[in-house]
Amino acid sequence: MSAIIPETRASRMAHLKQRISNISLNFYGILGYLFLYTPIVIVVIFSFNDSRSTAQWAGFTTHWYVDMITDSQIIISLWNSLFVAIVSTIISTIIGTLAAMGMERYRFRGQLGMDALLYLPVIIPDIAMAIMLLLFFNLSGIGFEVWNVNIFGINLAVPYSVIIGHVAFNIAFVAIVVRARLSQMDRTLEEAAQDLYANTWETFRKVTLPMMMPGILGGALLAFTLSLDDFAITFFTSGAGFNTLPVRVFGMIKKGVTPKINAISTLMLAMSLILISFSLISRKRGGEDQSIEMF
Amino acid sequence: MIDGFAVELRQVVKKFGQVTAVDKVDLQIRDGEFFSMLGPSGCGKTTSLRMIAGFEMPTSGQVFIGGEPQGYLPPYQRPVNTVFQHYALFPHMSVYQNIAFGMEMQKVDKNEIQQRVGETLEMVHLSGMDNRRPKQLSGGQQQRVALARALVNRPKVLLLDEPLGALDLKLRKAMQVELKILQDQVGITFIYVTHDQEEALAMSDRIAVMNQGKVHQLGTPEEIYEAPANRFVADFIGESNFVPGVMQKMGPPAEISVTGTEQPIAVEWLEDGINAGDAVVVSVRPEKIRIHPMGQAPTYPAMCRLSGQVEKVIYLGTDTRYLVRLNEESAVVVRLQNIISGGGHFNEGEKVDIRWDSAHARVFKE
Repeated sequence: MSAIIPETRASRMAHLKQRISNISLNFYGILGYLFLYTPIVIVVIFSFNDSRSTAQWAGFTTHWYVDMITDSQIIISLWNSLFVAIVSTIISTIIGTLAAMGMERYRFRGQLGMDALLYLPVIIPDIAMAIMLLLFFNLSGIGFEVWNVNIFGINLAVPYSVIIGHVAFNIAFVAIVVRARLSQMDRTLEEAAQDLYANTWETFRKVTLPMMMPGILGGALLAFTLSLDDFAITFFTSGAGFNTLPVRVFGMIKKGVTPKINAISTLMLAMSLILISFSLISRKRGGEDQSIEMF
Repeated sequence: MIDGFAVELRQVVKKFGQVTAVDKVDLQIRDGEFFSMLGPSGCGKTTSLRMIAGFEMPTSGQVFIGGEPQGYLPPYQRPVNTVFQHYALFPHMSVYQNIAFGMEMQKVDKNEIQQRVGETLEMVHLSGMDNRRPKQLSGGQQQRVALARALVNRPKVLLLDEPLGALDLKLRKAMQVELKILQDQVGITFIYVTHDQEEALAMSDRIAVMNQGKVHQLGTPEEIYEAPANRFVADFIGESNFVPGVMQKMGPPAEISVTGTEQPIAVEWLEDGINAGDAVVVSVRPEKIRIHPMGQAPTYPAMCRLSGQVEKVIYLGTDTRYLVRLNEESAVVVRLQNIISGGGHFNEGEKVDIRWDSAHARVFKE
């Protein structure tokens, strides 16, 4: 029996160590989340602050939201943002998906180089991309025509350059997400379809596309979010007088931070949350087969 | 069918870059036959099957299905269906949708599809599973769905690519019997690819033993086991002893001196191209060899006799295996059935004589 006692003590020590390390790990995790989310929570709270000051709490109000909605400049820039995001998402999702299929399914000369070039927009800083695009548009002289649209009675004048710029960086993100999905897809599924009398098009429509869909949706949502969020590229490529929401906010901040900006931020945060929820749900649905573990 | 063959391969070659996967293969597979292509991985059996299905195109040569040259016809225009190694069931479709897929592509009438899916599900004992997803089924059940999905189209030929490879041993044995019964029922030609020789022997009408892109032997399971055409086949199918020696006399009767012994032994069958003085191996199956206490082996004509010492005794339930050392270079495995309980007829270290009928020995090039 005596031989057992030191063993028990040792195991008790080990248990204690384990507990301490668990508690400290939890604490560390909570600290991390606090660091990330405290500023966001503060923005949300102060968007309801009944005071011009952004430092002191002076009671609850929705005044700033009313102020925001009635500001026609903000509404126009919001529609600009949504319009650019929707159009560039549609275009970049199609091109990005095709690029992913080409890269994944075919072997050709210079593929490695093409691969690296395709993913470059993910790696290089936005500002570099923005300057490059600006130079391109200036030198080529294309893209500064505007697309006039009327949405719910609001007239928008969207420069093509902004849409082209957004498409340019979104293709890379769509391609990465779709390709991750494709690389996990079992090629024999397509052979099975062909073996069962489905021609190339039917195989694509009935098997390849449905299997790729979670990746395509995930890529599209990512592209939409990034487009909505973009400042640098829009700012550099839009020319004078065109504002998306982030560009508009930047312009307002130069005149001082007001609670109205907090309200806009909260609105954008809400939109992002909704998009991320959609993206998670679509990924989870697809994940029943094979999940993509990107981003 | 003009020539009476379900599938024919004529001088088929398939190269992947510098590698020749299939090398001038000629095969004639009869209508209604259970035909196996057997060989180690990389022997070209799967590539041959894929060329029949149309997933690969021959570098040269021609594949015929039902007498019709297939040329570069894509898979969806060939009258064959495939059961894939890992089933390849469509994960986003139900069992019903999986099985109906081929018929929908062929624009079969909705009512007929429903009826045929029902019948086929019954045939593979999966009635009532229509709405399950492949993920919700066990390995054996997925296998049956894959079978049903192919068979429901009533192809001229069913191609099976190691379909039981992913199942555990017990289920595999059960499915072997089931597949064989199913084939009798539907009367379709089965072309079965496997690396499992026991499976091929148990199920096939005829087997093509393949290695390095070539067909080494084509025959019934019995022919292949009892009369292997070369050393590779003898080694790959079942268990064989290979006793080295030198071709003494071409005969008849042909004689071989076994390395390390003085007395020559008689042999009846020689591989083509062996000449007197060549180094050869004598191949005998372990169960064809008799074992006797030293000096007590009866002598008959056409009986080969060698002396040795029992080195190892392994009891295996139904039989006992003796490793008998003939000399420093060679030893022979002898298998004795345990007809009398207790086994142990011979002990390790005992001096023994072994003998076999010369008809049971095959002589191959070294």
